Amino acid sequence: MTRETVVPARRVVILLLLLQAVTTLFLWTLDALNEISEGVFALFLAADLVAFAMISYLYRHEREDVNPSRTWIAVGGALIVVLLITSLMLT
Amino acid sequence: MLYYVPDPTTAFSSTLYIFQKVSYGRFLETIHLYTAYAMIMLAFMHMMRGYFVSVYKKPRELMWIVGMGMGFVTLGFGFTGYLLPWTVVSKSATDVGIGMIDALPPPISNLISFLVIGAGGDATEILRFYDLHVVVLPAVLLVLLALKMYMLEANGISEPVTGKEITPEKKKLIPIFPDVSLYLLELAAIFGSGMLLIAAAFPLNLPPQFTPQLAAQSTPQPDWYFLWIYQILKISVFEGAGLPIALTLVTLIFVILVLLPFIDRGPDKRIAKRPLFVTLGIIFVAEVAALAYWGLITPGQIIPVEQAVLVLGGLALVIAVVSLGLFRLISSRANKRLPTVQGPKIMRAAEIWNGVAFTICAAFGALTIGGTINSAVALLLNGFDQANVINFLSSLAFLSVCVVGTTYLIYRSDLRTGMIKRRVRAFEVGWKVSMEDD
Repeated sequence: MTRETVVPARRVVILLLLLQAVTTLFLWTLDALNEISEGVFALFLAADLVAFAMISYLYRHEREDVNPSRTWIAVGGALIVVLLITSLMLT
Repeated sequence: MLYYVPDPTTAFSSTLYIFQKVSYGRFLETIHLYTAYAMIMLAFMHMMRGYFVSVYKKPRELMWIVGMGMGFVTLGFGFTGYLLPWTVVSKSATDVGIGMIDALPPPISNLISFLVIGAGGDATEILRFYDLHVVVLPAVLLVLLALKMYMLEANGISEPVTGKEITPEKKKLIPIFPDVSLYLLELAAIFGSGMLLIAAAFPLNLPPQFTPQLAAQSTPQPDWYFLWIYQILKISVFEGAGLPIALTLVTLIFVILVLLPFIDRGPDKRIAKRPLFVTLGIIFVAEVAALAYWGLITPGQIIPVEQAVLVLGGLALVIAVVSLGLFRLISSRANKRLPTVQGPKIMRAAEIWNGVAFTICAAFGALTIGGTINSAVALLLNGFDQANVINFLSSLAFLSVCVVGTTYLIYRSDLRTGMIKRRVRAFEVGWKVSMEDD
């Protein structure tokens, strides 16, 4: 794998880990008995899972020395953004 | 498990407590229900995918049987879990299911009653269902899963159905951990996020608590995955004394599915080379879907046998004709022999009449199958009196005529396209002259 593709992949992983940390912290601030909060909780958790899938995807490709698909990374990123925006709209 | 109390007096209130007072309780209940639904649907899709690509063939027969066992356990999870909230919907539907056990032969019904219901009464029933749901069935599933994983390691994954033999040198071995595990984990994460989205969009609301008064006003209906069986049992001929026959038929479907590796013993795994089993598979999926939807829109209604025969027979007939027609087309294209209508006018007319006669014959065939089942059930229930025997024999005679007629017409059309493998001279009377004219 060339250095050019490795570096962005690692940067993406760091970004995703940061996002997971922030969303996890945010989840603790929610009212756990409120019905709307339950929806927000579900959407944030869904975003976290997509981030986890992306990290695993990038790790697997780096391990196998294969270039990860930029399309899939873009789709995953877009999905996370949509989930976060929807959950923020609910709050 | 920390808050739920499996007792008729507290089951509903403890479920309501989880919904209203426990942190993210409603969300957990919602995701529990939807993932259970997804598990049943995915198990069915996995089974049918395995059926169509012949994963059950040598050397994976036992894997198929263990997989079917896991499927039954999954349905068991659905059946036992449905009762636990003790709502009017769940209790009434479970009671109908339990009532069916009494229709089975005494030794079997006694055994199942002892295992599932216990000494009788609601308290024992809900406790048994709870134990089965959280202890017995998970334990059985784990054992079956371990067994299946072991067999997967021993036999390897089923090869892609390409028609070409894959030599051991060409096989690339990929370790389950971490390569395959990571890939599966990614899929699971995406699936999980999808389920969370659905749970966020459609949060669950608890139906009213079960009381005998409310139950008397409502129509019991099982959850969607049992609707197809429920619909079969609602066909008029199976009502009342005919129930054991219906249950035997349903059991027979499951037995055939379990024993499939020993029924379809042909060596070819390719879909294009298995027209009969592929067509039967498509018919099975379509009938299950049709029965489930029909059951959903006709709760509590008894279905007249003629209507059932028309709908189910008609659906099977249409699928069989379309599927077998497609197979013939694919097969003749592969053999460079297109079954196009060529030759003199008389031959074209003969082919059209052949097609019309085939459709009529097959339609009557579907009706006579229904008539034969109807008269056979009447014979078994009402005894061998003269009217019943005559009715049964005449239905059987009509059915035989339809079967022979359909076979004859298929043979004639196959003769035209040159796809006949075994000649039956008696069926070629009159046709040979036309062939010579051609």
